[in-house]
Amino acid sequence: MVAARRGPAKPMALKTSSPRKGGTSRVNGPEGIDSIPLRYGDDPYVWACWLYYEDGMTQGEIAEAMGVSRATVNSYLADAREKGIVNISIEPARLASLTIAQELKRHFGLSDCLVVPNDDDTRPLIGRLGAAGAQALAKMIKSGDTLAVAWGRTILSVGEHLETGPLQDVTVVQATGGTTASFAYTPELTAAAVARAISARCVNITAPAIVASAEMHRMLLAEPLIREQFDTLARANRIVFGISSLRPNSTIHTSGFFESVPLQHYLAKGAAGVLAGRFIDERGRPVAGPLDDRTIGISLEMLRGIGTRVAVAGGFDKVPALLAALRGGYVNVLVTDAATGAGILRADGVTSLDGKLSQRQKSAPVSNSYRSHVKKFLNNPNDVVEEMLDGLIVAHRPYLQPIGGSRRALVARDGPRPGKVGLVIGGGTGHEPCFVGYVGKGLADAVALGNIFSSPPPDPIARCAVAASGGAGVLFVYGNYAGDVMNFEMAAEIAEEQGIPIRTVLTTDDIASSPIEDREGRRGVAGNFFVFKVAGAACDRGMTLAECEAVTRKANDRTFTVGVALESCSMPQTRRHNFEIGPDDMELGMGIHGEPGVSRERIRTADEIVDTIMDNIFKEMKAEPGDRVAVLVNSFGATPLMELYILFRRVEQRLSAKNIAIEASWVGHYCTSLDMVGASISILHLDRQLTELLHHPCRTAILTINGPETDVPAHG
Amino acid sequence: MSESAARALATMFERMSRAIETEKDHLSELDGAIGDGDHGITMSIGFKAVNAALAALDLDAASPSEVMSTAAAGFLDAVGASTGPLYATGLRRAAQVLAGREQLDLAACRDMLAAMSEGIRDRGKAQRGDKTMLDVWLPAAEAAATAVADGRSKRDFWAAVTAAADNGAAATATMVATKGRAARVRERSLGHLDPGAASAAMLVRAMAETL
Repeated sequence: MVAARRGPAKPMALKTSSPRKGGTSRVNGPEGIDSIPLRYGDDPYVWACWLYYEDGMTQGEIAEAMGVSRATVNSYLADAREKGIVNISIEPARLASLTIAQELKRHFGLSDCLVVPNDDDTRPLIGRLGAAGAQALAKMIKSGDTLAVAWGRTILSVGEHLETGPLQDVTVVQATGGTTASFAYTPELTAAAVARAISARCVNITAPAIVASAEMHRMLLAEPLIREQFDTLARANRIVFGISSLRPNSTIHTSGFFESVPLQHYLAKGAAGVLAGRFIDERGRPVAGPLDDRTIGISLEMLRGIGTRVAVAGGFDKVPALLAALRGGYVNVLVTDAATGAGILRADGVTSLDGKLSQRQKSAPVSNSYRSHVKKFLNNPNDVVEEMLDGLIVAHRPYLQPIGGSRRALVARDGPRPGKVGLVIGGGTGHEPCFVGYVGKGLADAVALGNIFSSPPPDPIARCAVAASGGAGVLFVYGNYAGDVMNFEMAAEIAEEQGIPIRTVLTTDDIASSPIEDREGRRGVAGNFFVFKVAGAACDRGMTLAECEAVTRKANDRTFTVGVALESCSMPQTRRHNFEIGPDDMELGMGIHGEPGVSRERIRTADEIVDTIMDNIFKEMKAEPGDRVAVLVNSFGATPLMELYILFRRVEQRLSAKNIAIEASWVGHYCTSLDMVGASISILHLDRQLTELLHHPCRTAILTINGPETDVPAHG
Repeated sequence: MSESAARALATMFERMSRAIETEKDHLSELDGAIGDGDHGITMSIGFKAVNAALAALDLDAASPSEVMSTAAAGFLDAVGASTGPLYATGLRRAAQVLAGREQLDLAACRDMLAAMSEGIRDRGKAQRGDKTMLDVWLPAAEAAATAVADGRSKRDFWAAVTAAADNGAAATATMVATKGRAARVRERSLGHLDPGAASAAMLVRAMAETL
């Protein structure tokens, strides 16, 4: 426990609560307090604490304000701590980074470790790492030191933040040869920045980092001037360097430091990271390659011989590279960020961390030993999909039928017709009524069904395309998942070989699944409902394949969904939850496949949850007052209608506060995830064309719309 | 090799199916941590279908290439998902390189591994380090190529290949997923083995035990 101290509130948050338990109130106590301001209730403890912690008054000032002695104030404050009126807590993000630093130090035997918290700080990671690296370095550099400096964005940032006390006779030496100055963090500029910050002598290596041949390498190192520079490098007693990954977006690829062809060579040989221009594998062993005897700079062996080896690097894509460097013993002082640090520990199998991070939340461990399986209506768990189809095909006989005996490919009874673009939808099962409930006149012409949460294979999809084809082409609309994309693409190839033109629209409505810059990488969830409806109407109205594709794409671009799960789903075969969501937690940004969501948070009230979701949707949906939307509040399976209506209530409040009108709304089970507890909210931002298509009549097992005036959802 | 090459391949697929069956729950558990928890089930369904398809084949008349293409079709028709197209494409490529060959010598095994890994790579558009089954297939294929080039014995060949596969699978724990559903959980995938890589290593081991 860190001692309570007033001062900058940033690292610590002081919570003042007024439990009043056990009759702590002493109104008109021994010293006759009779004028406690109303806002403190009748509790002198709270008053004293407020003045001390929040208003920053001294004990003497408080004594005067309260009309009591200084000793009484002192005992109020001490008692308040004891009674729990004041809780001292370290901001969780900072506590977490301390814990992670401690664990990293212990696990890898580091001499020191500094971890910057991933808190609300909006500064870019490079800047925060640079500042932290500078802080670490400033504590270590002593007069007379020789500091080797490698190149890189993060290390340049260290140089920019570095400030030290007065130092004498410090030499900064460039750890590698130089490069062309097409970027700001060349070896020369990085070393110069560090040297300037500590007023050190700067020794550059006046040779290229990578030369054309091994011969040239030998010749340059034989040059007396360069040999002298290398002698300085060999005297270095400290080094600061960054660590680069070989991930596609890494600066290694964009810096031009390495040519791309040899880089592929190192990648193929299992290179996991690069430090000071040298490649190491996941265990930290040097990876041999064509650049080795053409690289001018510190060798891995020299680097490891230096006393203080400070690595500054962060970003979770660097975890494999950092882990490799730590395992190889190239680092004894690590500066990184909390997410990366935790990632490194987890990647190296340190499991004690999670316990340490959460031990403060003293929630009693839930005993779920009394029941390890979820109850389900089952015969043979391996037959669930087949048996479901048995029931479904009969139950929905008025709307659909199997295509040529295949029950994984179903066609609408009065869907396809000559001259009409065919609409084929599909995906895994477990989402009922999606996708099969949307097959019928005016909506999808055919549906291909896979196993639970698994894309159907190409064959049934291709059968659907053939069955749906009316000679005007076929539109594929399905959720953006790697498996579905591969199978539908293979099916499209088969269909096109048979002369059926195919266009595809991937649904990507889940705005929580990827940032806006990566819109195309988002997955498709319950917003499918709107996209299918618009596509089906467009096809039914006789629009051309290109027009159908365009308007479906527009519908997808204007559909926004966010989901929240309270409990994960369980597969019929395992009857266990796919993963556990803690007793007081919820999973925000939940998809529809029982895969973990985007972030785990403490559960909040229904209104607060809707507010978070709607705030995110409003951020992306550029709706003006007077605009119209369609709303879908969808259960993931186990959440009852009662709760969905509570969510809908708040959605409506938020929309009407912005003067956005609800043109149509649906509340119920429209796209589920087996028995998951949770819900999603989808908003379709309408325009004239989309409004017309939304009201276009359709007749399916789940959705029947009779016309513009009387659209009544058949299912709730 | 006492039995025919086609029979050896059929035995290999049986071994694969048995190995997957034994570890089915474990694979699904791995998948539950970062994906949708069905990998064990999907692989189990796929290899059962492969064996069913091969049972219909006359192994005395079939060529090794036919065994592989039958396996590819059987797998794909049963599975879909992402595993379906990936393994179907890999197996189909293997069928192509085995065309016209009757012997499963080390060169053929090397070519088969290379074709598998290239097919999977081309279909999934992933690369090494993406935390996928490729982190097993690519190093296994490379180890095979090196072993043949170095003139290793059959025993050393498969030892090198399985070691590369196992190391590759273990290394996925340190990677951040960029492909498939696990990519959505980003850094939360760290520390977890990729289920596709874990099952791939099991398949490689089944190959080593048979061929």
